[in-house]
Amino acid sequence: MEETKTSSQGGESDMDCSDNECFDEYYYNLNDDSDIEQIDPRKIDPEYFEFKCLFEEEVDRLLNETVETLSNILQISPSLAKVLLHTHQWNINEVTRKFHENPSHTLVSSRIEPATTPNALLLTRYTTCPVCVTPQPLDKFYSLTCAHMFCKDCWIMHFEVQINQGISTGIACMARDCVVLAPEDFVLKHLHRPNMREKYQQFSFQDYVKSHPELRFCPGPNCSMVVHSREVKAKRAICDQCKTVFCFRCGCDYHAPTDCQVIKKWLTKCADDSETANYISAHTKDCPKCHICIEKNGGCNHMQCYNCKHDFCWMCLGDWKSHGSEYYECSRYRENPNIAHESVHAQAREALKKYLHYYERWENHSKSLKLEEQTLDKLRTRINQKVMSGLGTWIDWQYLFTAANLLAKCRYTLQYTYPYAYYMDAGSRKELFEYQQAQLEAEIENLSWKIERAETTDRGDLENQMDIAEKRRTTLLKDFLDV
Amino acid sequence: MANIAAQRIKREFKEVIKSEEVAKCAIKVELLNDSYTELKGEIAGPPDTPYEGGNFVLEIKVPETYPFNPPKVRFITKIWHPNISSVTGAICLDILKDQWAAAMTLRTVLLSLQALLSAAEPDDPQDAVVARQYKENLEMFQLTARHWTNVYAGGPHVNSDCDEKIKRLVDMGIEDHQARAALSSYNWDLERATEQLFS
Ligand SMILES: [Zn+2]
Ligand SMILES: [Zn+2]
Ligand SMILES: [Zn+2]
Ligand SMILES: [Zn+2]
Ligand SMILES: [Zn+2]
Ligand SMILES: [Zn+2]
Repeated sequence: MEETKTSSQGGESDMDCSDNECFDEYYYNLNDDSDIEQIDPRKIDPEYFEFKCLFEEEVDRLLNETVETLSNILQISPSLAKVLLHTHQWNINEVTRKFHENPSHTLVSSRIEPATTPNALLLTRYTTCPVCVTPQPLDKFYSLTCAHMFCKDCWIMHFEVQINQGISTGIACMARDCVVLAPEDFVLKHLHRPNMREKYQQFSFQDYVKSHPELRFCPGPNCSMVVHSREVKAKRAICDQCKTVFCFRCGCDYHAPTDCQVIKKWLTKCADDSETANYISAHTKDCPKCHICIEKNGGCNHMQCYNCKHDFCWMCLGDWKSHGSEYYECSRYRENPNIAHESVHAQAREALKKYLHYYERWENHSKSLKLEEQTLDKLRTRINQKVMSGLGTWIDWQYLFTAANLLAKCRYTLQYTYPYAYYMDAGSRKELFEYQQAQLEAEIENLSWKIERAETTDRGDLENQMDIAEKRRTTLLKDFLDV
Repeated sequence: MANIAAQRIKREFKEVIKSEEVAKCAIKVELLNDSYTELKGEIAGPPDTPYEGGNFVLEIKVPETYPFNPPKVRFITKIWHPNISSVTGAICLDILKDQWAAAMTLRTVLLSLQALLSAAEPDDPQDAVVARQYKENLEMFQLTARHWTNVYAGGPHVNSDCDEKIKRLVDMGIEDHQARAALSSYNWDLERATEQLFS
């Protein structure tokens, strides 16, 4: 079986050189700094990810190649090879190894063959089908490897009922306590109605993609693209067609530096506690100095009171001047060190306080992202007017949009640092994380402030700020993105 | 109704009637209409369980796609069991869901339900309150199940302590079944049941 290794297209990790060349040709990447990436892109960019967006036909081809390879190796029908691959997460090496070790056990555990050898059949010319209780000539009967005989019409009905419930690769024999699965060729041999065949194939395609760790459906609405990557990690994938950005591993919104399990836990918690957290969704706060009511209408959290010109932080209402150097105190939650000795009541209150601290910041950055998008729209209109009246060309102003996009990217990561910090254990690693988080936060607010005042900010100054913010983001991800 | 479904029910009906379990009065089926879409089932509480001596009535609805889909079954007789809702009679049993096979019959279903009464699966509960009691206080569970069997299924074991407590609540204006359900949920603690009922 050794020589078959290189010819397989499935899930092997040890490829020889010629395969690697195909790999590079086949894939392209979405990294921005494409000029330096020959060195080792993963070292420079912690989010570096090689993947390809595939149409349904391309996925079909990819799956069929694997099926054909296994079918040749094991000398079994493509239909059975498909069942084996589906039950083994398309790991062709694993299936091959298991099959050679113990073929009958592999076939039984993959539900291709029954665990016990079926009884010899009573061959009479007419037999009563146990499902429809109609006596019929023997040539109307069919069975899977388990030899449980049912009439053709009952098989058809069984398949149609199952398919209408969205079941395809999981359709089993109709006998009691029999787990043998109906392979594709058996189903398609009996299924004649074109819409049923189509549905069956569509559902099984979905099952195959979902069981294949290197494939992930684009979660975008009404999008049928599939992302393929050999690197099964929680990395950022972008759909070619609908531009949806998502985590390759779990298919949810991208969530670095938080990992898939933690973000799921966090989002569940937020949904469960949504009522408690509701009161903080305020759009107005009072100026800490002159107490005039201030409405937040931009994304930047560096606020300036329109009345007394006092600079303060929207999150903690602290003075912005000292904030620059002590941002740490704003983003970090200071736990009560003696909480273990307090009453259950006090502990519960403390737990809620801690959650709200993180939730408030998580929610606030999510809102800032939306507000900054509006700022960008306004900016676009103003630049349009400038261009119309001859003040430069669109190309001259392009850097502003680049800056706004970078700001969104940085703030997005910042938002996802809060669930990460919430679930971190206290200690030096958490301290380092919160330090870097604070640094990132400070630079992001500076960038946001500058973009809001884009037309009067010096271009060099803005580009410098962009560079700093992105460096902070990359540093944090390099140290803490562990996928 | 689809031809196969009616054909099957007709056949199965005969199968149950002729079966040895009917002879032993363990299971029973009755047709409720001519179209074979609704049946009444009955199972006897198995010996050496709190359900012994009781007779449990089931509602059986046969779907259009029977036997390719399972029949819809629920308890009409009120019962205290981890896998059966004490409120609606809904049943949590694998063969009535995804483990159904077209070759199974009503007889299989009734016998499986009887087996469920003998061996509860508290880790896969339908009624969380009952399941918790079963796991935390088996004796209390058995007492309660026996009492429900006596009141609703004609079981022989009268529990005067239970009846006494229920009467106290009924005297306060609570409906009989509501009082029983509250007391059962609170391990027959009259004070806590009262608190819950009036809160
Ligand atoms: Zn048949
Ligand atoms: Zn079978
Ligand atoms: Zn898409
Ligand atoms: Zn993920
Ligand atoms: Zn002010
Ligand atoms: Zn602050």
